[in-house]
Amino acid sequence: MTAATRLYDAEVVKDIRKKKKVWQDKSSFAKKKRQHALHTLSGIPIKSLYTPADVSDLNYIQDIGFPGEEPYVRGVYPTMYRGRSWTIRQLAGFGPPEETNKRYKFLLKEGATGINGVFDYPTLRGYDSTDPIASADAGRGGVAIDTLADMQILFDDIPIEKISTSLVTCQPICNIIVQSMYFTNAQLRGIPLQKLTGTSQNDFLMETVITIAPEVLPPRVSFKLSCDAIEFCTKYVPRWNPVSFSGYNYRESGCTAIQEVAFVISNAIACCEELIQRGFEIDRFAPRLSFFLSAHNDFFEEIAKYRAARRIWYRIMQERFAAKDPRSLRFRFHVQTAGVALTAQQPLNNIARAAYHGLAAVLGGAQSVHIDAYDEALCTPTEQSALTALRTNQILQLETGVTHTIDPLGGSYFIETLTNQLEQKISNTLDKIEEMGGIVEAVKTGWIHQKISNAAYEYQQAVESGKMSVVGLNCHQVKEEKLPMALFEVPETLRIQEEKLKQIKKKRNSTQAQHALDAIARCCEENGNLMEVITDSVKACITEGEISRRLKDSYGTWNAPLF
Amino acid sequence: MKKRIRVIIARLGMDAHWRGSIMVARALRDSGMEVIYLGNQLPENIVETAIQEDADVVGLSTLSGNHMMLAPEVVKRLKEKGAEEKVVIIGGTIPPDDIPKLKSEGIDEVFGPGTPFGNIIKYIAASF
Repeated sequence: MTAATRLYDAEVVKDIRKKKKVWQDKSSFAKKKRQHALHTLSGIPIKSLYTPADVSDLNYIQDIGFPGEEPYVRGVYPTMYRGRSWTIRQLAGFGPPEETNKRYKFLLKEGATGINGVFDYPTLRGYDSTDPIASADAGRGGVAIDTLADMQILFDDIPIEKISTSLVTCQPICNIIVQSMYFTNAQLRGIPLQKLTGTSQNDFLMETVITIAPEVLPPRVSFKLSCDAIEFCTKYVPRWNPVSFSGYNYRESGCTAIQEVAFVISNAIACCEELIQRGFEIDRFAPRLSFFLSAHNDFFEEIAKYRAARRIWYRIMQERFAAKDPRSLRFRFHVQTAGVALTAQQPLNNIARAAYHGLAAVLGGAQSVHIDAYDEALCTPTEQSALTALRTNQILQLETGVTHTIDPLGGSYFIETLTNQLEQKISNTLDKIEEMGGIVEAVKTGWIHQKISNAAYEYQQAVESGKMSVVGLNCHQVKEEKLPMALFEVPETLRIQEEKLKQIKKKRNSTQAQHALDAIARCCEENGNLMEVITDSVKACITEGEISRRLKDSYGTWNAPLF
Repeated sequence: MKKRIRVIIARLGMDAHWRGSIMVARALRDSGMEVIYLGNQLPENIVETAIQEDADVVGLSTLSGNHMMLAPEVVKRLKEKGAEEKVVIIGGTIPPDDIPKLKSEGIDEVFGPGTPFGNIIKYIAASF
């Protein structure tokens, strides 16, 4: 590197190194022996002090640059939060759609700026509420959706032509059906698909690794469904983000920050290759690929993680895929604060935890943020806890001043060093996955499952040994704790869904319904784009369970190598 | 030689979270127990497998909130099959108020969020 492009003059750096050594030798603080070395949560050793000597090789223009410009380390937009603050997108969903519709309206009235809709366990796995294996979970963990009619109820009186909706349709088998219902509902309301804005989760790792259901589709098929939805949106719903690679959930299952980013990016690489294979130019679909990451306990590592992810994504899109459109080069992401870091013990402490997590997300330049409610280690959030979480997000945005300047930690010797180290380690993991033949192969062999499970086990052992402190859990406990608040109870769901399903099956034209299901089976045989067929088929009032049964009959199911 | 304690671990119903159940399964295995991991199951299959595999302990895991609907069903079916000697334990996000209810339905022990592995291992070992 030439002297002109270096951040610091070589002589100055030499002098800093020398003086740091002197400081270290005389400082009693630095000499103190620690019981164990300090590391970030993902295992990177941390020094007691960072100086310009740690970042002396950085080339500012090439490695850091300006917001909205290559390599996007400082942020994906030139104005960042000065231009437009992050979207406050609080997750909500429980019970039948009638109840969740009320919660959406409540959050919007209180100042949420987008909808973030989560679906119950049966819906996410492609089961009707009344299926014997699913019925005990109807309305739990999210809202129950069985048919197009439920989708109409869910968004009744909500201006979906104006506000953006995130559909937390994690599994492609759920996404291809539920997103089809969302689109069909919009069309029936007279809203053209081109006007819709929002995001679907649609991540095949969610189906095959993270939240495995009984009778899961094989990885290759789940991946195909995910790409079918991306292709459909690329053609017909240009303002929709058809996938949100869900590192958040990988992290909740136990992986490290390094694996979280490596796995989402290798997933995105696979989708790019598939779409190119299907005849699309990279810049036609890449601008709409989006990401979903966690904000966990290690404050600085999380901030550096977001910055490193932006640089890696930019380099891959430019070098490997030769993307030209700047929008293809931008790593845009939503953050949810880490649910797994919350405790059931002394639950009000979680308000403080989640606020720190949220702060890391915005110091890292997130496009939208959900802050967890304090009762999430115990139940679905109550109205009270959901409101406190929303207010925490608003306090961060309106009171702390963090929106006033872009990437305020950029240039910190520590943050820039960590950004470089994380980038290196993430790239190494990406290379390993590449050697295995890509992410779909790495899932098939169980390698990804193993990596996540191992990291989760190490994490748990660190908590149990006390090496990692968790306030209220392994230190500062309260004996005979009394729960300081009421817990949420899921409203009656099964009976309501059962009744609606009965009515719909009675009223619908059974020949039409049969034809719709046959069309789906035929599309599987012909290897066509399933989303094109399903958006049309849901009008015949067929249920999610009926559609997913056709898909499983056609493609077979898979036993995940989990244990 | 003393027979190794045999444990089956299942996730109840549609519950999506495997982290807790897999972690406990690994910890029990590392402590010398024999562990059979079933994944998502309904009470009927759990009981059938527990009997076929001659398990000493039935470990249930759920974070979805379905525990009051499904866990007592496991105990009931074990009784019907004359297998009530098996120890039935459950772990997950169980609200404190539900713990006495589960115990009165015949669940032997409930382990909430944050339970150290050691407590579970000790409890099982003390049962035999």
